[in-house]
Amino acid sequence: MPQPAKVVVEHVTKTFRRNDEELIVLDDLSLVVEPSEFVCVLGPSGCGKSTLLNMIGGFEVPSRGSLTIDGHPVRGPDPRRVFVFQEYGIFPWATVVDNIGLGLLRRPTAERERIVAHYVDLVGLKGFERSFPSELSGGMKQRVALARALAVAPDLVLMDEPLGALDSLTRLQMRAELLRIWKAERMTVMFVTHDVDESVQLADRVVVLSPRPSRIVDVVEVALPHPRDIGSPEYNRVKNRLYERLGVRHEI
Amino acid sequence: MGFLAFEPLALSALALLAIPLTRRAPERLQRIVLPIATAVVLLVAWHAFAVATRYELRMPGEAPRTVDVFPTPIQVLPAFVELLGDGRLVRYAIASLYRVLTGFALAAALGIPLGLAAGWFTRVSFAADPFIQALRPISPLAWIPISILAFGVEDGAAIFIIFLGAFFPIVTGTMTAVRSIPVAYVRAARNFGLDGLTLFRVVVFPAALPQIVTSLRIALGVGWLVVVAAEMNAINSGLGFLIVDARNMGMRYDLVVAGMLCIGLIGVLLDWMIRRLERLDEVRWGFSKV
Ligand SMILES: Nc1ncnc2c1ncn2[C@@H]1O[C@H](COP(=O)(O)OP(=O)(O)OP(=O)(O)O)[C@@H](O)[C@H]1O
Ligand SMILES: [Mg+2]
Repeated sequence: MPQPAKVVVEHVTKTFRRNDEELIVLDDLSLVVEPSEFVCVLGPSGCGKSTLLNMIGGFEVPSRGSLTIDGHPVRGPDPRRVFVFQEYGIFPWATVVDNIGLGLLRRPTAERERIVAHYVDLVGLKGFERSFPSELSGGMKQRVALARALAVAPDLVLMDEPLGALDSLTRLQMRAELLRIWKAERMTVMFVTHDVDESVQLADRVVVLSPRPSRIVDVVEVALPHPRDIGSPEYNRVKNRLYERLGVRHEI
Repeated sequence: MGFLAFEPLALSALALLAIPLTRRAPERLQRIVLPIATAVVLLVAWHAFAVATRYELRMPGEAPRTVDVFPTPIQVLPAFVELLGDGRLVRYAIASLYRVLTGFALAAALGIPLGLAAGWFTRVSFAADPFIQALRPISPLAWIPISILAFGVEDGAAIFIIFLGAFFPIVTGTMTAVRSIPVAYVRAARNFGLDGLTLFRVVVFPAALPQIVTSLRIALGVGWLVVVAAEMNAINSGLGFLIVDARNMGMRYDLVVAGMLCIGLIGVLLDWMIRRLERLDEVRWGFSKV
């Protein structure tokens, strides 16, 4: 029996009203994401990537079309599908453990502490349990956000440019870490980025959006096993195709 | 006499010399020397002003005598000793502090919950905000007659006025604090299934806390300003009363000035104490650039 799809986006259109005129952001989008799949959403700035993710997360409603997760229409935010924000995600007034335990407040203390300890370890923050975010580096903060999301054992993780604020070296390390965790936990990931390399390094499939009003220009499979050889011909083929679809030449 | 008139000026010039002299000095030294230099200049200016406004009084049949209009800094020193000696200073300071702290505590106890509610729930804001905004511009001092009518010339009257003075900064500060919480915090909280009181306790209150602390600091400052005015008009004790009393009973302007200096000193102390709140772990993040 085939597994049912995780996320189904059907003919979704999203418009915003701005100064009495309709701004069409997403125009008739359809997309199916399978369970345990790692999908990257790639597109130019302002095309509506965050809007799409916000709708799947239940923070915004589509203007037209339907959105289902596990066959059920999305009605609002839900701890089974968690959002990892680019900034402001974690709470500056709370320690690392309090941040990571945010979604576990209803569990018994002992169980919460055990789960938090597990994820502190998983993202490599041992020794920083009592630190405040202001005492952490950018990459460490992002790892707190990741651990907080994973601690509630979500079956879908929505990431909106989670590595955007990091330097390139930390980004590389965080990508490897993310893949390692994804392989261990097998959750479905939707990952928004406007970095072509990032999407080719991470994704099973890359969804390319056009500028506003945004449509899906292409869905590119990345049939490369992890860890990926970023010098391989296939890697470059995918990369070139993505640049082409985005309408930019990448030779300088 | 000529020498005495010259000496303060020399002192002042010497103090001003501190500015170029400390240019290369370590910051720790500058922090000590420069305010002292300012104090010397201010005291000299005060002294010079008091001396300049003295005049000769010639009454027929009497020897001419010099009349002091304003007290000099030196003349205020014995006034301090007098106030400390007869216990008035301590008694009145305690009376004023008691009123301020009680009024302030009541204002915080009512203002913070109301501000949180009005900042978070639009319906509470619709209901309460117009009245908060309309009552806010009325000086607390305008309430003195009503307050005396309600509470008599008692502590209650002053406490009520201080309550009003502190309440509005706290309510509006808390309201603004809640409204400026980044959406991402609230979204994250909702995403993890937080709602109702838990959402308030875990996210809304801590996110607003640094700005609430700032509004408390402003409110305490206002309370201290207002208590003196209230005591000058409505009460027969406290530092404000000390000042009107010193004038009305024998034109003791040295006592007036000594009282004023005490008010300033205690105000600085109060502010220093409430600023220590800003260093707590729960709010420190809101005061440092991250
Ligand atoms: N709440 C809103 N009201 C009005 N317009 C909005 C709203 N949210 C987003 N938009 C508009 O929708 C468009 C898409 O925004 P969105 O944040 O989804 O872009 P994005 O693809 O995530 O861009 P970036 O890569 O820069 O983050 C923008 O033009 C933005 O102005
Ligand atoms: Mg975005």
